[in-house]
Amino acid sequence: MLREGSELSLVDLMSMAKPNLESREKILAKLRGRELVNCFQCIKCTSGCTALKLLELKPHEIIKLVNLGFVDELPSSDIIWTCVTCLKCVQRCPQKASPYHVIMALRNLAVEREAKVPEGYLKAVSQILETGLAETAQKVVTRKMETVDRECLKLPKIISPKVGFQAVFMKTMEEK
Amino acid sequence: MTRIGVYVCHCGLNIAGVVDVEKVVEYAKGLPDVVVTKHYTYMCSEPGQRMIQDDIKALNLDRIVIATCSPRMHEETFRRAVAEAGLNPYLTEIVNLREQVSWAHTHEPEKATEKAKALVRMGVARARLLEPLEKRKVTVEKSVLVVGGGIAGIQASLDLADAGFKVYLVEKAPSIGGRMSQLDKTFPTLDCSACILTPKMVDVTKHQNITLLTNAEVTNVKGFVGNYEVSILRKPRYVDAERCVGCEICTKACPVKVLDKFNENLSEKRAISIYSPHAVPKIATIDPDYCLRLKYKKGVCGKCQDACEAKAINFEQQTETIQAKVGGIVLAVGSEVFDASRMVELGYGRFKNVISNIEFERISDASGPTGGKILTPKDGKPPETIVFIQCVGSRDKRFHEYCCRVGCMATLKQAILAREKISENVKIYVCFIDMRAFGKGYDEFYRRARDMDIDFIGGLPSEIHSAPDGSLYFDVFDKGTNKLLEMHADLVVLGAGLVPNSDLGNISALFHASRSADGFLLEAHPKLRPLETAMAGIFLAGACQGPKDIPDTVAQASGAAAKAIDLLLSGEIELEPLKAVVDKDLCSGCRICESICPFIAIEIKPEVVNGNERLRAEVIEAMCQGCGLCSSACPTGAIKIQQYSNKQVLTQVEAALEEACAEGGK
Repeated sequence: MLREGSELSLVDLMSMAKPNLESREKILAKLRGRELVNCFQCIKCTSGCTALKLLELKPHEIIKLVNLGFVDELPSSDIIWTCVTCLKCVQRCPQKASPYHVIMALRNLAVEREAKVPEGYLKAVSQILETGLAETAQKVVTRKMETVDRECLKLPKIISPKVGFQAVFMKTMEEK
Repeated sequence: MTRIGVYVCHCGLNIAGVVDVEKVVEYAKGLPDVVVTKHYTYMCSEPGQRMIQDDIKALNLDRIVIATCSPRMHEETFRRAVAEAGLNPYLTEIVNLREQVSWAHTHEPEKATEKAKALVRMGVARARLLEPLEKRKVTVEKSVLVVGGGIAGIQASLDLADAGFKVYLVEKAPSIGGRMSQLDKTFPTLDCSACILTPKMVDVTKHQNITLLTNAEVTNVKGFVGNYEVSILRKPRYVDAERCVGCEICTKACPVKVLDKFNENLSEKRAISIYSPHAVPKIATIDPDYCLRLKYKKGVCGKCQDACEAKAINFEQQTETIQAKVGGIVLAVGSEVFDASRMVELGYGRFKNVISNIEFERISDASGPTGGKILTPKDGKPPETIVFIQCVGSRDKRFHEYCCRVGCMATLKQAILAREKISENVKIYVCFIDMRAFGKGYDEFYRRARDMDIDFIGGLPSEIHSAPDGSLYFDVFDKGTNKLLEMHADLVVLGAGLVPNSDLGNISALFHASRSADGFLLEAHPKLRPLETAMAGIFLAGACQGPKDIPDTVAQASGAAAKAIDLLLSGEIELEPLKAVVDKDLCSGCRICESICPFIAIEIKPEVVNGNERLRAEVIEAMCQGCGLCSSACPTGAIKIQQYSNKQVLTQVEAALEEACAEGGK
């Protein structure tokens, strides 16, 4: 018995991985439309990808892998976290297949599956939970090499989030 | 007493694969007045038709119900068969079991069978009320209007004129030739465009059956198939066509420089000029937007007038309206090239050395701005690296979803020309998605390009940058090598697609020719009637119907001409009798029908009744297409469509509700 159902009609001989159509549907369900399947591999997204030069992200490969159902290795892979969300691919994709939205869906799937998430992202979330801010107030060095903070600039103190903020925040996140 | 025959077609498995045809036949047997019911694999085949004909004669049938494919497909076939058996063809009723049942409800065979029964019941109910009708004959004018003087219009005009019909060829520009006259060589044989086009252009002027009207536009179209009345507005050239010898002395005298549209604005001409080097007719034309005399009135400039020895310059020339009566119309208005500046990331319009493919044609053409030397527009030097980028504005949901059908082959041709004209050392790359080399000799042409060391990169760049020194560079990821490549180029040529003419909306309104979703003119049927519009007597040729290369355009033009000849040859045509009819006693002359009719087929005429003058609607039979809008809009019920009277339609509705009511009562 080699084949059982349509998802087993492909085998990646490099890794012996098989497509998982259920995971593929999960990704498609997270997107607003099914335009992803319209991708005809013009490679514009990868040619212009800001993150490709830094790391190994090839948006056209991600789209093709998801389309064929080779989804499972992606959430645990580092590459989905290297996107810098410049949105160039969204602007220029001739088929509106938008690799950016697929990458975001894969990140969400990674969190759902409790896969490894880069530390920076976890830090950002815990910071928001604590302070309510995506970016905390930092000290700045002026041209005269003086270090200043909000206090010496006589700016008002930053107020901590109200009680219950964390609960509401978590609830909203889960709903999304 | 009516005697009805019901025939159910299997259409192979198209219908029988879903609908239980035997059950439908069994059901039809029980319907009132039905004398015979049969089913057969292909009712439209010769034995199928013969079966119906034999039954008409043997059983004395006087109404025929055929449950088969859409009436658009075979209604004519069955009407002809019925007529051959001696019955009036309009006593045939088609029930659509394919498009409306089996194809629509493929996964619900039982429900589909029930629906088929209901439709047959409705068909039988209506059949009882069908009336015998006769086709009407109308004489046709033995002349044709051809709109557009590109290769499509030229070919159609020559074919029609050779067949002996009078042709009015109307061209908006001062010369015929169109897009093809701008091209250098043509794929896949590399014969020179001018060499094969110019003789045809000259033939047009020499043909005694062709009246050539350049610098002219059609402004009004009235009438109907076989009898169109058209108004053509000829704009002034300000040059006497009889006197001008095309010596171009006036052009040398003119002080006003104007961008040359024929050269895609890559060079300048004068305010008085001849449209192109191969212009037909070779007559100078003054551009009134730039000519000093025409802009600033008397006493100014006039240098061309002084220079012209033939005394051909006439600043007083006026627009002229020409009326013509024609039997048919061929629309051959062509297409435009996509404006690549809309794709901002590619830098067209910002970077001088990013050009479109049509500009490359002019640069490569011996009669173009560089005399046929391929030089970069920015610095006038031969490029060392040329990159072609495909699918610009085409296959792109942001602009045009369709494939432009000429971009791949045009690029291969231009790449080959660049290799031949510049040097063996010039580096030529083509960035593409798919290479569509589908025509006769096209894939061989693709191989020829590869033989000539033209490199193909499987991927498109996202954006083009200009370095401080003005050179162009960009990144492109190549599928084949799985590498991100940085490319530097002296010249980037964009494979811009063909798009509908910007004034196609006006043309579509003028000729009542609909447009498809892609913006081009819509053919009557995508496969079986590609040369006609939905308006009888108006035909389509060339790229106005969809992007096309030259071989396809010429083939379609000859086809459209043949269609027009078919229409005009006999001198008269038969019109469908399914037209609107006015009951004059009921008509109140409210004019609603007149305002709503899309075919201008209703005239309101005064009529004297008992000494009082009253308004009455009258249907111009030859123009009425039987669409039924007037009938449903008429507040007094005075207009009916033959074979679709209220009684005939309502009986069908009642038949539809019959079973439903019976079921509801259970």
